[in-house]
Amino acid sequence: MGLFDKLAFSLGLKKREANILVVGLDNAGKSTVLNHFKPEDQRTSDVVPTVGYNVEKFKTKSVGLTAFDMSGQARYRNLWEAYYQDCQGIIFVVDSSERLRLVVAKEELDIMLEHPLIKPRRLPILFLANKMDLRDAISSVKVSAALGLDRLTDKPWHITACNAVTGDGLHEGIDWLSQMIKDAVDKNAQKL
Amino acid sequence: MLISVHGMKKDEEHGGSNPYQCSDKTSVLQEARVFNETPVNVKRSTHVLTKILYLLNQGETLGTKEATDVFFAMTKLFQSNDIILRRLVYLGIKELCSVAEDTIIVTSSLTKDMTGREDQYRASAIRALCRITDASMLQAVERYMKQAMVDRTSGVSSAALVSCRHIAQHSPDVVKRWVAEVQEAVHSDNVMVQYHGLGMLYQIRKSDKLAVTKMVSKLISSGMRSPYAICLLIRIVAKLIAEEESSAGERSHLMEFLESMLRHKSEMVVYEAANAVVALSAATTTTTTTTTSRDLVTAISVLQLFLSSPKPTLRFAAVRTLGKVAMTQPAAVTACNLDLENLLQDVNRSIATLAITTLLKTGSEGSIDRLMRSIAAFLNDISDEFKIVVVEALRSLALQYPRKQALLMGQLADMLRNEGGLAYKEAIASTIITIIEDNPDAKEKGLDHLCEFIEDCEHTTLAVRILHLLGKEGPRTSRPARYIRFIYNRVILENAAVRAAAVSVLARFGAQCPDLLPNILVLLQRCMLDTEDEVRDRSTYYHAVLSTRDPAIIARCILNPPMYSLSSLERALLSYLSSDTTKAFDASCVPAAPPPAASASLSSAASSITAAISGPEDVTSAVPALQQEKRSVSMHDKYAERLAAIPAFAGLGPLFKSSAPVELTESETEYVVRCVKHTFLGHIILQFDCTNTLNDQLLEDVSVVVEEDGSNWQILQTLPCASLPYSCPGTCYVLLAIPEDIMSTTGTFTACLKFQVRDCDPITGEPETEDGYGDDYTLEDIEISVSDHVSAAQRSNFAAAWEELGPGSELEDTFALTSLSSLAEAVTQVTNFLGMQPCDRSEKVPDGKNSHTLYLAGTYRGGQSVLVRAKLALSDGVAMQLTVRSTDPAVSEVIASAVG
Ligand SMILES: Nc1nc2c(ncn2[C@@H]2O[C@H](COP(=O)(O)OP(=O)(O)OP(=O)(O)O)[C@@H](O)[C@H]2O)c(=O)[nH]1
Ligand SMILES: [Mg+2]
Repeated sequence: MGLFDKLAFSLGLKKREANILVVGLDNAGKSTVLNHFKPEDQRTSDVVPTVGYNVEKFKTKSVGLTAFDMSGQARYRNLWEAYYQDCQGIIFVVDSSERLRLVVAKEELDIMLEHPLIKPRRLPILFLANKMDLRDAISSVKVSAALGLDRLTDKPWHITACNAVTGDGLHEGIDWLSQMIKDAVDKNAQKL
Repeated sequence: MLISVHGMKKDEEHGGSNPYQCSDKTSVLQEARVFNETPVNVKRSTHVLTKILYLLNQGETLGTKEATDVFFAMTKLFQSNDIILRRLVYLGIKELCSVAEDTIIVTSSLTKDMTGREDQYRASAIRALCRITDASMLQAVERYMKQAMVDRTSGVSSAALVSCRHIAQHSPDVVKRWVAEVQEAVHSDNVMVQYHGLGMLYQIRKSDKLAVTKMVSKLISSGMRSPYAICLLIRIVAKLIAEEESSAGERSHLMEFLESMLRHKSEMVVYEAANAVVALSAATTTTTTTTTSRDLVTAISVLQLFLSSPKPTLRFAAVRTLGKVAMTQPAAVTACNLDLENLLQDVNRSIATLAITTLLKTGSEGSIDRLMRSIAAFLNDISDEFKIVVVEALRSLALQYPRKQALLMGQLADMLRNEGGLAYKEAIASTIITIIEDNPDAKEKGLDHLCEFIEDCEHTTLAVRILHLLGKEGPRTSRPARYIRFIYNRVILENAAVRAAAVSVLARFGAQCPDLLPNILVLLQRCMLDTEDEVRDRSTYYHAVLSTRDPAIIARCILNPPMYSLSSLERALLSYLSSDTTKAFDASCVPAAPPPAASASLSSAASSITAAISGPEDVTSAVPALQQEKRSVSMHDKYAERLAAIPAFAGLGPLFKSSAPVELTESETEYVVRCVKHTFLGHIILQFDCTNTLNDQLLEDVSVVVEEDGSNWQILQTLPCASLPYSCPGTCYVLLAIPEDIMSTTGTFTACLKFQVRDCDPITGEPETEDGYGDDYTLEDIEISVSDHVSAAQRSNFAAAWEELGPGSELEDTFALTSLSSLAEAVTQVTNFLGMQPCDRSEKVPDGKNSHTLYLAGTYRGGQSVLVRAKLALSDGVAMQLTVRSTDPAVSEVIASAVG
């Protein structure tokens, strides 16, 4: 590898930029989660259902993230895969108060995990059991069981309960994810 | 300077100045992968995206898969906040959204941009968004659109309003809900927003006359700031006035507004108002004049002021509008003549051209000479397109002032000699031809000019056309011999198509000028050595015909050769081959080609080429339009094919003629029935096209029952139509045997539609009952007249054909057509009644004459040719002496007696 490439790479390391994909059923709270990560003055006061997708950028302690906030409505879910190729991490948001639709969420998750662009990669996945403030909400352990996460062994994953409106629990989750991504980037750097 | 220009040109030729020139689709699509890179490679992506846009704008098209792939790759560029790249993405979305799938993927990204803080994005995002939003998605963006329309930033607001107009095309109802915001935009302080707002408001209100009137009067009284909006308002007002539905009071109120706008401080508004007034005065009829002549005078004087404006656009607009007025009201423009003449020196040659063509319309006979000189002065500076405008002006001038024709002809001949493209040369040539046709005195002079022109004419079609005219007119001039040299030169110098045409023309001279015949035979003999088959064939053929020196044969083969409808001839030959070929083929029952009809302006080169190949057709006859001819040919073919497919009609022989459809029902009745009469050698088929317009009825077993008053006609067969559902046309037929006695082959038939009705559900169309009940419906009577037995035929030389038939079968009678008051009317009536073709341009009655002779040619059902000479004279109605000649005396008798 020539000098120029090395230089560029170390510059890239300094920045540690990564793309993440935010998916989950409609109304799960994906856009609300991302809205929370934005600087206070840039947040929108009302989040509307996403049509297609949206890009959001924000910084965590260890990496800069570009998040693709996908629409969760049934007729747009097939569009997720267009963005699988170049993501380094996934956030899967679940509305933990909607027990009935957990089945649907599991189904979508399984389809995604079987996708040829996802299946062979050790992509870190952060599960957010959102809307924990609601009375109907079930615990993150139950969500994990409902999604069958015990069988997900070939990828690093983490689940955390959260409230996207207040931001409770979000930081724990995103810290885990950005650490995973940072580690992966650093490990790749060592390999070279 | 010269060198640098030269260098640039070279660059262009080699594509050196355009970095996108050599891009090809596949490699560019490969390059588009760069869009997927993280982080976004702004520089490369910008370049590649530009290449894609360039390709698309060059007319390159992408398949759905390709477009979708590029589109999705492109969506990733939203990650970058580079302004230039983002705006290219908007363009890309707009270009690809019609082909790519799932384009809604960018909806949220675009709504984010349009409501975001970056003003540079917002307007473009709105425009892109409206392109990917269909009716089903509107709900999601409705709120943003409404907000954007009243946005403080004018660019955003304009973009939203214009997008709104696009959306209105597919979802007018949704847009109507936004009327409050649109109205707010109309009151904006910004000139563009106000303009776009008014455009949108009008779009919403357009279909409701009352609402438009209200809107207009409100805006008139409140006044608007934006000159653009006022211009639009003027157009709306003009439309309201022109529609003439409002009351006289309202109209005069609106006119007052237009009038007041003639004094507005913005020139654009003043021009728009003047243009509106002028257009209204041209359109309104004398009975309901809304524009007073005072308004027109004011409008014209405003335009006159513009003529001396320092701004070329104003001068151009004014002179163009005045030119239009001059077409209908030349007198109104004469006041501007002096200013117009000044414009002849205008550095902008388009303005000068429009000025001269206007002057040609308004100028008096006395000023023509002067105008001609100025035309000659600047003609070389203007484009062909404008030269044609000048030629057209000269043509109408020539028709208007016959005494100036010599002068004009000279001018035209000069123009013909100078540089110019085919269209321009054609325009000149056909103007000369028009003059020749209009004025026999100008004929020889005009032919001389044309002869000189073809000596050096590079346009094959034009040369052929002129040669053909020579063949037609030349032999009848005082000294036919002088044209031979020009024609024979063509044989020596030109390409095959022109040579072949020249040979045919030589033959025509030989046929009509006995003095020249020996020489022509020698020339034709030389032509037999030509390298081209067609030229050799023609010369051999004509040489043989002329050598017989038999006037009858010469007339039949050269002057008036048979002109079959080629498709019918083909069909007849095919059916002959499949039948008993021991008998000779009988050409008499092949219908003649409908009269050819290249229009005087020679609209299509193709037509003259076919004319050149088929030789003696009369290309210059200006009667029916080319299109019509094509249609009637194909109609004949269509009918013939359709009838041939019905077994009951096998063995009737070739179809001779089909009539135009005749309505047998009033319009908007329960059932619509149309009748077409198809004539065969011994039979007539009545074809009834029926439509059922009742949605709660299904008709079955539909037939038309006809009965004749006399008992000459025999009804051989009736073919019913099995079922006639709502609004699906069906056809039934009646086959008649034409009576043996040729004198009783006309008749009147009563007709009645008979059928079984089954009531049915209007929505599904399913019948509700098992059995129907019988019913009938009386139709208008059907006439079979003499014109059903005659088809129009072409004779390019009527006199020769007349002589050829000889007086043997001649019948003559005199009639008084008391109900007619003009010769022209008599000409049309007689022509239509007999269904024959006028020859030698005798359908044109010269102005101011009180007698005229009409020559008609036709073919009778059995293939006999019929010629009619009708001498018409004005006298207490019209007196007509009708002389008929035919190859069959019985036919003469039928025709002569038909008129009485
Ligand atoms: N009570 C409660 N409401 C939440 C929470 N998170 C999100 N919401 C609400 O849930 C609704 C949907 O949130 P969105 O962020 O639009 O959901 P989404 O997943 O982006 O939905 P799509 O874009 O349609 O896929 C909003 O009204 C949020 O205010 C939460 O933790 N608690
Ligand atoms: Mg969302």
